[in-house]
Amino acid sequence: MPNSCNFLDIHSASFAYGDGTDVVSSVDWSIPAGAVHCLVGRSGCGKTTLLKMAAGLLQPTAGSVQMLGKDVPAPSRNVGFVFQSPSLLEWQTVLDNVLLPISLHQTVTEADRIVAEELLELVGIKEHTCRYPRQLSGGQQSRVALARALMTEPAGLLMDEPFAALDAITREELQDDLLQLAAIRNTTVLFVTHDIGEAVYLADRVAVMDAGRIVFSADVDLPRPRNQTQRYSTAFNAACLDLRHAMSPQSSAVA
Amino acid sequence: MTRTSMLSLALFVSILGLWEAFVRLTGVSPLVIPAPSAVLIVLWDGLTVGFLWPHIWVTAVEALLGFGLGCAIGFVAGVLLGEIDFLRRLLWPYVLASQVVPKLALGPIFIVWFGFGMTSTIVITALICFFPLLENTLTGLQSVPPEKRDLFRMLGASRRQTLLRLKIPSGLPVIMAGVRVAIVLALVGAVVGEFIGGDAGLGASIIAAQGMMDSTLMFALFVVITALGMLFYQLTILFERWLLSSWMKGQET
Ligand SMILES: Nc1ncnc2c1ncn2[C@@H]1O[C@H](COP(=O)(O)OP(=O)(O)OP(=O)(O)O)[C@@H](O)[C@H]1O
Ligand SMILES: [Mg+2]
Repeated sequence: MPNSCNFLDIHSASFAYGDGTDVVSSVDWSIPAGAVHCLVGRSGCGKTTLLKMAAGLLQPTAGSVQMLGKDVPAPSRNVGFVFQSPSLLEWQTVLDNVLLPISLHQTVTEADRIVAEELLELVGIKEHTCRYPRQLSGGQQSRVALARALMTEPAGLLMDEPFAALDAITREELQDDLLQLAAIRNTTVLFVTHDIGEAVYLADRVAVMDAGRIVFSADVDLPRPRNQTQRYSTAFNAACLDLRHAMSPQSSAVA
Repeated sequence: MTRTSMLSLALFVSILGLWEAFVRLTGVSPLVIPAPSAVLIVLWDGLTVGFLWPHIWVTAVEALLGFGLGCAIGFVAGVLLGEIDFLRRLLWPYVLASQVVPKLALGPIFIVWFGFGMTSTIVITALICFFPLLENTLTGLQSVPPEKRDLFRMLGASRRQTLLRLKIPSGLPVIMAGVRVAIVLALVGAVVGEFIGGDAGLGASIIAAQGMMDSTLMFALFVVITALGMLFYQLTILFERWLLSSWMKGQET
């Protein structure tokens, strides 16, 4: 049931593209304010679609999506979205790309520029501030996209495999930065990933999606703040194994 | 100069040499094929004595005005049709029909409307330049990747902002390709427009030279038209480079 202290309430929401078959079907999901939830699932199971519904980019064909108790008929500027592809504007510098959420609505101040540079430093591409997106590697581009989403200090962050193009070490650093920022700003995060370890590491709660349905969900009871050494703890590995089983019951039963 | 451009030049010189030799050896009438040397002399006279310059000026002005007018209208129409679905579905068949009509066939009626001279030629040129801009603007505006559209929706951009800050910049390379096509067509339009209704200009001069059976002058005029076309094209490329300079960053070559 919709609860006033939840940031996001998805209530038996379905979505079908033009051809009429449900890509997301009867999903129920609630995220309390300030929580980090992760969604895993095989390619094509409907994760991006669900995320876009949560953002208000797509309207559910059945059921409801509510943010802070209200319907989301259109995207809210209070929510940042990190798309599966970096989606940077090729004709603008990295800095201007990060400043885009500001420059669309007001003149950019020196203070904004400083914030943008700090974010770029945080994601580790400070030295590329004045370059253009095509001059960056895929992983660098996705980090710019992350900085852009953080620019407005949104209350909610919807992230679609933001770290997929990164090496393991950079990814771990950014995971820590994300958790730290989210904790400081009390940001609610819905994070889609293919990486089981990443899901367990980041999440307060994980869910597995399959063929448009949430087929498994569980709280992750690991202490916060998280640190990378926890990855090697028994509790962490047990959580990963549970998730692994939930994602493909048959194949792991054989293994 | 690179090796290939040296080779390219050598090829040009040897073709001219062969041509000259052919004319001299066979003694073919200059009415059919004038010798390159004769063409060069006429060209030199025309440029130094100066009787070519007013014609170059007229044709250049016609081509550029027609080009500017056609591009501007084509771009604006492309934006309107691209932004307003209803308008596109309503008007597209007419736009298409207006392009399938051979525009030079409209020349005579333009002469009735606008009289002999520059105006008719400019209108024909504009009509020819209009379509590549319209079509490429439409294509350019619609080629924005869906995720970038979603991004602008997420950021709360207005329709106007989405047009000015996403669709137009994003479509600019495609739009500029249309401009490149248009500049080449503009010169063709101006020259052929003068064939039909010009009283001055390079096209009109070709018709006059034909009347005098002066093939050498005709060839000299071809050379001038070609040079003018190359100049226009190169200027367009420079303009495009400048306009897309931030687009080009990080692209190979
Ligand atoms: N615009 C669209 N039109 C029609 N069908 C679509 C569209 N986008 C996605 N689909 C279909 O919806 C299903 C779910 O797509 P979605 O993008 O949500 O998957 P995903 O879980 O994000 O996959 P991945 O992990 O590969 O990103 C897929 O079967 C896909 O074919
Ligand atoms: Mg996806």
